[in-house]
Amino acid sequence: MIKLTHVSKTFDGGRSYAVKDLSLSVDKGETLVLLGSSGCGKTTTLKMINRLIKPTKGVIKVGGKDVMDHNPVDLRRQIGYVFQGIGLFPHMTIEQNVEIVPRLLGWSIRSRRERMQELLNLVGLPAESFAERFPDELSGGQQQRVGVARALAANPAYLLMDEPFGALDALTREALQQQLLTLKNQLKKTIVFVTHDLHEALLIGDRIAILHEGNLEQIGTKKDILDMPATKFVQDLFAIKRPGTLT
Amino acid sequence: MSLDAMVAYVVERLPELWLRTGEHLMLTGCSTLAAMFIGIPVGILLFRATYLRGLLMGVIGILQTIPSLAMLVFLLALLKKIGVLPALIALTLYALLPIARNTLTGLEEVSAEVMEAAQGIGMQEYQQLMMVRIPLAAPVIVAGIRTAAVVGVGIATLSAFIGAGGLGQFINRGLALANIKLILLGAIPAALLALVVDFSIGAFEWGLRPERKRDKKGSVQSLMRRLAFMLPVALVLISIITYFTKPGWISKSATQLKTGHRIIRIATKNFTEQLILGEMMAQLIETKTDLIVERRFNLGGTMICHGALVNGEIDLYAEYTGTGLTAILKHPVISDPEEALNHVKKAYHERFDAQWLKPFGFNNTYAITVREADAKKNEWNRISDLGNTAIELRAGFTAEFAERPDGYPGLRQIYGLQFGEVRDFDPALMYEAMAKGEVDVICAFATDGRIAAYNLKPLKDDRNFFPPYHAAPVIREEIMKTHPKLGDVLSLFGGLIDNATMQRLNFEVDGKKRRTAEVVEEFLKAKGIL
Repeated sequence: MIKLTHVSKTFDGGRSYAVKDLSLSVDKGETLVLLGSSGCGKTTTLKMINRLIKPTKGVIKVGGKDVMDHNPVDLRRQIGYVFQGIGLFPHMTIEQNVEIVPRLLGWSIRSRRERMQELLNLVGLPAESFAERFPDELSGGQQQRVGVARALAANPAYLLMDEPFGALDALTREALQQQLLTLKNQLKKTIVFVTHDLHEALLIGDRIAILHEGNLEQIGTKKDILDMPATKFVQDLFAIKRPGTLT
Repeated sequence: MSLDAMVAYVVERLPELWLRTGEHLMLTGCSTLAAMFIGIPVGILLFRATYLRGLLMGVIGILQTIPSLAMLVFLLALLKKIGVLPALIALTLYALLPIARNTLTGLEEVSAEVMEAAQGIGMQEYQQLMMVRIPLAAPVIVAGIRTAAVVGVGIATLSAFIGAGGLGQFINRGLALANIKLILLGAIPAALLALVVDFSIGAFEWGLRPERKRDKKGSVQSLMRRLAFMLPVALVLISIITYFTKPGWISKSATQLKTGHRIIRIATKNFTEQLILGEMMAQLIETKTDLIVERRFNLGGTMICHGALVNGEIDLYAEYTGTGLTAILKHPVISDPEEALNHVKKAYHERFDAQWLKPFGFNNTYAITVREADAKKNEWNRISDLGNTAIELRAGFTAEFAERPDGYPGLRQIYGLQFGEVRDFDPALMYEAMAKGEVDVICAFATDGRIAAYNLKPLKDDRNFFPPYHAAPVIREEIMKTHPKLGDVLSLFGGLIDNATMQRLNFEVDGKKRRTAEVVEEFLKAKGIL
């Protein structure tokens, strides 16, 4: 489980806060969606969990241990991360990209290979035809699936996903969302998923945390939020008939 | 020249061409390799240590702006050595900038997104560098190496000035002898070599591309990839092998090991008369003694020859009394030839452990020279006649003359001459410039064959400004002690060549484009010495 207690982050010495006094927890096997417009602090929150960014105040615990007590490299290898810009390594084949974390962890070539094939099949890119290709030979949707496979490679208990489908066209996005739902039920990971898309949030999240200008407006299940909006902001957000996209 | 003649000309010189090309590649290849071993780590260091960037890139940048010849001469003074070592160091310093700068740029340009992913999935810092940043920067780094190597092929032609060999030797010799064919014999292969080097590093870059890793084993591509990697390596290897198996190198070293010091190294400066005198001494020693002669001809000027002699890099070369007196000893001019010779003899013995032998006979003093036609029209006979018209004249001097106290600076003082424009020339090009009417006055050498050939008129030195320049063999005393016979042998030249004879010999080589060795042999036989 992941637990944030009174976490704040300022980049300018306290004049403004990207994240302000945020407390929330993600239970084991649960998917929490961080929903908000750009600049609300959701990506900062995600990066603080695997120590890409250091919190100014507060404590973040992953698996019961303060992240600041973890070796950052070991911590990151235990947490799968799917990046907003995908971030595949352009000079490595799909196979090498997927294998990278197991390789860093010193797995044998054989087990790396088996894992790679298993994962590529899982995300719907058969290894026979995709393993030896390079990222720039794949479509955006295919690349993002490789990104997901890479994040899952070392079988981490936690998965952080930063607007993974943000840059894709609507059709591809929907297909990947469906696929993620299937995966999620199959794999039982603890997932923190960042998005600015209401529809996506409602579809994927077991619970949803709504952030606005660094503050937590509300956290709860889909039902909680739709039936009992905690603030005016949340109410307005879902008042529109057909939930669309925040920008 | 007909095609057949051209082919014959090249074929005849093929063994030497091969040797020089090998030397050239060795100089370029080894210096580029050395620059890679320094430049790439420096680039990486600068990428990490931002605060060092301004300073170090500045220093490397300044190195790049030092003119090549100045750099060579500076290193010569610093290392007290001529030959391959200073040339390699100079070439390495020049290659440093493109390699270090491209390494830095390449590393900086890797996308931040990819690097964040590398960090985010849990790579250590060195893993981020080695597994992601450097591989992605590789094409830019290799492009820097490519630039360095191709530019290096060009700069390496200058190494011949300090006796490091290479294709520049043909160019140098061609310039000294005003022989276009020889210049081209160096310049064309150098240009082709630059293309070959460019291509081979380009091939290497191709082989390095990530998609090449996918080529099936045994496929044409995978074979080509292997070839592409081997090409630059093979070039450097071949060059090193050529270098160390050059004719005489092995046998010479073997003889040296067996019999101790039996080699005499003779040098010359880079103009025709020097080459003739050097060849004369070489042929005589080869005939009359059992010493092996190593010809280190065509060094780039007085200071380089003298420095090499003092440092024991060479054993013997022909120097002129006036040059020894003023340029080396920084002594005021002595007009009396006998007195001048005695002075340099004594001073060289005391200061440099070197000995002046009997002069050849001729006096190759500077001669302020104009075109015959101009002289007639303006009634110029003596240097003083130039008087106030000098300001309207364009002068072409050798670089040495322009600076030496017994050159232009002294001339200005004694005659009150101030030329309108002074340009520095290579000795051979100076006469060309005169013939083409690009300059009006030159500092010809009194024994130069081209004075007669180009219808030039030396003006009388009516104020006895120019010191006597009698040429004589100058030899290291250590060599004289081990081989006392050398003194007697070289004394055979005493007074043998007067000004007219020297002019004629110079013209045989300069004007008629005959081979130095042939002209020298013919002359020595005619005099009954050989």
